[in-house]
Amino acid sequence: MGGEIKWETEFDTALTRAKNEGKLIFLDCYNPY
Amino acid sequence: MDAVTYPNEEVRDFINTKVIPLRIPADQKPTAGDYDIQWVPAVMIVDQNGKEHHRTIGFMPPDELIASILLGVGNAHCNHGRFSAALECYKQIINQYPRSHSVQEAIFQTGVSRYKSTNNPEPLMEAYEKLYEEYPDDRWTKRASPSRLIPLIME
Repeated sequence: MGGEIKWETEFDTALTRAKNEGKLIFLDCYNPY
Repeated sequence: MDAVTYPNEEVRDFINTKVIPLRIPADQKPTAGDYDIQWVPAVMIVDQNGKEHHRTIGFMPPDELIASILLGVGNAHCNHGRFSAALECYKQIINQYPRSHSVQEAIFQTGVSRYKSTNNPEPLMEAYEKLYEEYPDDRWTKRASPSRLIPLIME
């Protein structure tokens, strides 16, 4: 595939994708500092 | 994670194809607050309704992360009654990531999923026997230990 992980950054967008694609969400809460 | 695990090709391809990757700062309100983040990195498997099914904190190398995600996905399937899908995830951990720290729980959950899908308690006993034989001191072996009494109950 190449490239990088295609992160979503909006929770609602991830939920919509999860519903449409029948997948679960991998949520990474990271240290922004 | 950014320096070692996420750039790994196998991790990247696995995450991009098997799950929806979502990344938010731990102090972002309200989302991160809803999950009560106390330490980072915190990675979770969340379903389509936002319900959390699995969480790990701290750094994980590539093999550990993939196995951990598979475990979370498997547990989410199991919690929703999708036992065949759950068993596929646990099988993949056991066969492809036997040295990961997720394998013991995968064996335990294999017994649970098989029991829940059949009401036959024998898979619980089989899971305990496998754990006892291969990981006698593991916490999941201890958690499964009541299943050693199943043959006595079934007599």
